[in-house]
Amino acid sequence: MMGALRRNTELGLIILAVVLTAGAYALASLGRTASIPANELPFVGVIAGLLAAAHIATRRLAPDADGMLLPLAALLNGLGYVMIARLDHKLAGLQALWTGLGVAAFIVTLIVVRRARDLERYRYTFALIGIGLLLLPLVPVLGQNINGNRIWIRVGGSNFQPGEIAKIVLVIFFASYFVEKRELMSVATRRVGPVMVPDIKYFGPVALAFVVALGVIFFERDLGSALLFFTVFIVMLWVATARTFYLAIGAVMFAAGALFSYATMNHVHQRVVNWLNPWVHANTSGYQVIQSWYALAAGGLSGTGLSLGSPQRIPAVATDFIFSAIGEELGLLGTTAIIAAFLLMVGAGLRIAARADSPFEKLLAAGLSTIIGVQAFIIIGGNIRLVPLTGVTLPFVSYGGSSLISNYILLALLLRISDSRTTAAATPADETRVG
Amino acid sequence: MPPALLTILKFCLLALLYLFLVRVVRAVWFELKPPARVLAAPVGGKSSRRDRPSRGGRAKGDRLRVIEPAAQRGRAYDLADELTVGRAAGCQITLDDTYVSQLHARVFRKEGQLYVEDLGSTNGTYLNRKKVTAPVQLRKGDRLQIGRTVMELGR
Repeated sequence: MMGALRRNTELGLIILAVVLTAGAYALASLGRTASIPANELPFVGVIAGLLAAAHIATRRLAPDADGMLLPLAALLNGLGYVMIARLDHKLAGLQALWTGLGVAAFIVTLIVVRRARDLERYRYTFALIGIGLLLLPLVPVLGQNINGNRIWIRVGGSNFQPGEIAKIVLVIFFASYFVEKRELMSVATRRVGPVMVPDIKYFGPVALAFVVALGVIFFERDLGSALLFFTVFIVMLWVATARTFYLAIGAVMFAAGALFSYATMNHVHQRVVNWLNPWVHANTSGYQVIQSWYALAAGGLSGTGLSLGSPQRIPAVATDFIFSAIGEELGLLGTTAIIAAFLLMVGAGLRIAARADSPFEKLLAAGLSTIIGVQAFIIIGGNIRLVPLTGVTLPFVSYGGSSLISNYILLALLLRISDSRTTAAATPADETRVG
Repeated sequence: MPPALLTILKFCLLALLYLFLVRVVRAVWFELKPPARVLAAPVGGKSSRRDRPSRGGRAKGDRLRVIEPAAQRGRAYDLADELTVGRAAGCQITLDDTYVSQLHARVFRKEGQLYVEDLGSTNGTYLNRKKVTAPVQLRKGDRLQIGRTVMELGR
């Protein structure tokens, strides 16, 4: 019985993730004050409770779903929380609240979305919602400028990044749109030089995505989201049509857009300069990435030990540089484990895509997995100065409410897709079971 | 707290972290090497679709009539030389029921006789309340239960 087997795997891994998180939390406190934290037991109770709720929800609502995604997310979320708690007490309290809301969003998504293919019907509604959310921060009064980025809105007493939800909604739209149009988009009808290319009118959406991405960079100054948005769009187009040609077009447009932004927009120019040589402005704009390098160097192979390093020297460490903080205190071994966890997550997502029943579900799963992978790459690459730094969160690890909630929704959608593809598997059951 | 002890604990934590990852990789390995039947199932479904017989090929009038659930009563399915029953859209008889597996059972004709065979479903196929473990012959008036649906073979 595939489903029960997967649920038991999930339970085992979740228990291990709880033990790991609890151990890391205790160790962080031992390093700081040489004592087990007073709230260790309540802490273990809370995370075990949250994960138990999520696990029971999958057992009830998606019994045949993939059994690895939830534990991997739990591990990343747990380690991220331990780092945040070690860096900033106030943020830790909030992050706990966000995690609770994230798990709630996970369960609600599983309840509301009973079949992933139902989402296909509301295609243009999702397109409108997505663009609306993306543009929301530009609305006067509602929108907030924080650190030069205009990607926040103020709701109640707290700030929210609607773009985080927008990325999921837009991927749903892309998936349904491409499934419908992919045949037209993949047939080559024109000859340009030596290669056959599809009719020019099907580039309309590509051009639109490009303009929207540039608009986001220009008006909201959000380089990371623009990069993520455009990459996911091109990857999904490529997966839908199976034509490498779109990857080439995407790369050319990306290069052109990058050069254009570099030449005309000061904040983009600054990022590139800091990437190529941060030492020129070591005390100002290059400071952050240099501190990140110091942190990684101090960590070495196995790290200084939790609470024994000084990653708080990196500005914005809990959000943008949490990877470097882990690198300082758990070393190369710790960061390698983080990257391996992301690879396994993306692998699980692509496996779900490969096995999904309908083309829409395939494309949606591929798109959602790409979001996780590309986003992790963009920010980890920025932390280690492999690519210019753009401020996106490290999924599940970084501090951030909107990010955590939207990533849990994304996770629920992947689980939902993996649940509906179950074939007549395995051995006949002895007891009757929903399946 | 002596630093040496903290270092030992740190390595324990890292070891646990990798143990977790190894467990995940093992689970992946297990998924990618499923029992042979799992691989065989979709293939069977596809070929049955391809081999769908022409209209003249079947004996006229054999039908499966739905008895339960009450809401579906009266609905009937014409029997071809081979058809599949399941939750998947590709089955000739699609039952929207959580107790039905995607590819649940197969009804086929061999030497003029009808047979039913369970395709490794989760909750089993029942013929006259007896579990179907191997291909069993279907006779007129027999009751076939798949999930919550009960169908009767009639003419």
